[in-house]
Amino acid sequence: MASKDALFLYLSSLDKKNYYEILRASKDADLAAIKSAFHAFSLLYHPDRYVDSPQEVRALAAEIYKRGVEAYRSLSRRDARARYDRSLARGSIRHDARLPTPLPPRPLPRTLEMIARTARAKKFADKADRLISIGKLENARVELVSACQCEPDNEELAERLRLLYEALALEGMV
Amino acid sequence: MSSVIGIDLGTTNTVVAAVRDGIAVTLPDPQGNRLIPSCVSFHPAGSTLVGRAALERRLVDAPSTVYSVKRLVGRTWDSPEVQQARDKLPFELCEGAQGATLVAARGEKYSLPEISAFVLRYAKAVAEAALGEPVERAVITVPANFNDLQRAATKMAGKLAGLEVLRILNEPTAAALAYGPPARARETVAVYDLGGGTFDVTILDVAGNVFEVVSTAGDTALGGDDIDVIVAEHMAGDLLKKHRFDARANGLAFGQLRLFAERLKRELSTSEEDTIESDDLVTGDRGSTVAWQFRMTRPELEWASLPVVDRTFAVCQQALDAAGVKARDLDRVLLVGGATRMPMVGRKVEQFFGRAPVVQINPEEVVALGAAIQASLLDPARRKGAEPIVHPQVDEHSVVAAPADEAPAQRELPDLPVVHPLKGGPAKPAAAEFLPASGGKPLVFDLPHDASAPTFDLELSLPEPPPAAQPPPIPSKRTLRLKYPPPLASELQQPPALPPPAVPPPAPIRAAPAPAPPRQEAAPGPPRPAPLLIDVTPLSLGVETVGGFCDTLIDANTPVPCDRTRSFSTASDGQRAVRVRVAQGLSNRFDENTFLGELELSGLAAAPRGETQIAVTFEIDADGILNVRARDVKTGQETVARLQLVGAQTGASDIEAMQARQAAHPVAL
Repeated sequence: MASKDALFLYLSSLDKKNYYEILRASKDADLAAIKSAFHAFSLLYHPDRYVDSPQEVRALAAEIYKRGVEAYRSLSRRDARARYDRSLARGSIRHDARLPTPLPPRPLPRTLEMIARTARAKKFADKADRLISIGKLENARVELVSACQCEPDNEELAERLRLLYEALALEGMV
Repeated sequence: MSSVIGIDLGTTNTVVAAVRDGIAVTLPDPQGNRLIPSCVSFHPAGSTLVGRAALERRLVDAPSTVYSVKRLVGRTWDSPEVQQARDKLPFELCEGAQGATLVAARGEKYSLPEISAFVLRYAKAVAEAALGEPVERAVITVPANFNDLQRAATKMAGKLAGLEVLRILNEPTAAALAYGPPARARETVAVYDLGGGTFDVTILDVAGNVFEVVSTAGDTALGGDDIDVIVAEHMAGDLLKKHRFDARANGLAFGQLRLFAERLKRELSTSEEDTIESDDLVTGDRGSTVAWQFRMTRPELEWASLPVVDRTFAVCQQALDAAGVKARDLDRVLLVGGATRMPMVGRKVEQFFGRAPVVQINPEEVVALGAAIQASLLDPARRKGAEPIVHPQVDEHSVVAAPADEAPAQRELPDLPVVHPLKGGPAKPAAAEFLPASGGKPLVFDLPHDASAPTFDLELSLPEPPPAAQPPPIPSKRTLRLKYPPPLASELQQPPALPPPAVPPPAPIRAAPAPAPPRQEAAPGPPRPAPLLIDVTPLSLGVETVGGFCDTLIDANTPVPCDRTRSFSTASDGQRAVRVRVAQGLSNRFDENTFLGELELSGLAAAPRGETQIAVTFEIDADGILNVRARDVKTGQETVARLQLVGAQTGASDIEAMQARQAAHPVAL
């Protein structure tokens, strides 16, 4: 299954996603489609699917899964969904938006900008960092690919690109 | 690495199972029995007996023979169930620290998890003997409606028994898992689980390999044992009348009557009537023994059981409402639990849900089999090669086979009359069918004798039949064929060998769509992908707020694991700790819910009131057990959050004492 860092990256990006995006369902999906989406989500992130993995990975998967549960609870009941749609229109994507989720304390040690060495690569890498921090992993990938093309021998950068691909695979975008 | 097993730790019986070579199978003790009575007896010579051997001492050494602890586990001393049980149980209960309930036997006091630990150790020994290798990890099942205290106590029992508890699994979910993937792409399944002491009904959506629990409802103080008590009370009334002996006032005598009642109840699942005879229950003048006979017919038993069985249907409606489905939307109804062997239960379930229930796997073994399947899925060591994980099949032994020719011993029974207040109802009072033809002492019924008026209104609490102008057709001779090997009374003998696998699927009573293809086929078909269980928490979790209200944090029927974060703050200047009381239940009044305990957030820096903000995350894990983390919002630092559950002895010294007591009582097969 996915590696720890990829899961962490994905988990951080969830903060910026609304409930439909987390479950990968369209806004006008009916209950059966929401359910199917939740089932597919569960098959990917339920901690029971990570029994073979180390404890940290399982914990990360559990955190991701709990977000999916939160999303499913709102979208699977008609009254709750109506309320969520209204609050979404007003701009709040989560129930308890006031309180940031206590993420497990594991920031990635070095930013991409620090890893890149040449000035050109640093520009792309910095853009990639910023896109990752707002949850736009796909756009960040494009920037990071450019950065890697500037520095084909920077192995650490290539490793981070590989991580980003893994995280994107989790998103179902690759 | 050691094996993993599934354990159904029941009120009356415990069953242990494992997956061997891709087949889930229940494990018998060296004598061949698959049901282990959940009973512990402390022998005066010093040994500790568990299971059948303990049950045999139930009458000779009642104060030291402990059973039915599941009805008390996780309950505080002052709870109504414990206080009522004190009179009904022949062994002594007493109060422990922090409101705990303890059992006092042979000069020692045991907490309830310790008693369960004895049973689990015996089950572990049975598994090790059957598998021929050590067993250290297990999935243990609990009623779906068990609250946090009850689950934590069960997990503690597993730990005291030397087992790593991989999961605390809900019994109806386990049963659904044992029945396997649906015949169609997706199905909505209801599991009706009536055990010895608890009742659960769970509605699941099963699609492909995902088993999603949609809703669950239950009553953790309702089961076959309650029927025993009702019948025992009838017997006590009979004794009082005949011999002026009040068995209700005598714990030992009432315990004896309960045993008789249980035997009678089981016998009447396959016979029309039965008689209990006892010479030594009552002693007459000058020490002479008095012979006493008690006869009961099946209709009389059904009449007596009605209050218990009818209560289950109110709960069923609750589960359907919470799931947002109607009974007709269900595709399958599964019967689980020994009490469902009563023909009346099957009939009433069919009447309520409008379809014949499925009993393809032994209702007393199905939960353990499901637990074994889940255990095999949670075992990290299972993946030796690159074979894909599949959904294990269930061993033939536990599968109920349709007899090749319809067994002549199965008699057709007249149904309990469905009464319609119309003219032209049944011509003669249906009561006549229920009074014995000759002799015997029938229970006294209060019956009107007017032939045209309704006689019994037994279906009071069932949903009303549609108000049609003409009466709906009353099937004349409906039978419920329960197709598992009788009789129950003699578990001591070897279970009869099942007929060879190639038999047609059991025919449902009505012309309902055929159930899933029979499992008894020699070629099991293509392997089914590994299942995923999505279970839910059965009860709402809330914290106490101003005015004695209960503020819900996590709703009932939320999938687990789940969490919710709530911010708390200090009320006075310089406050160093914040205390929050936590409960589970549906009421918005805190006192009406089940109090779990007090959460203490401590180590706070002195500050003006309201300035310190603590973000507390309440998490319910996959076991359905509450974990709490807390963090200072401003600094981001973790703060100490300690939840002391009521009646739980979780201090290090308490646990050491409990482990020492376990070690002092060896448990052998």
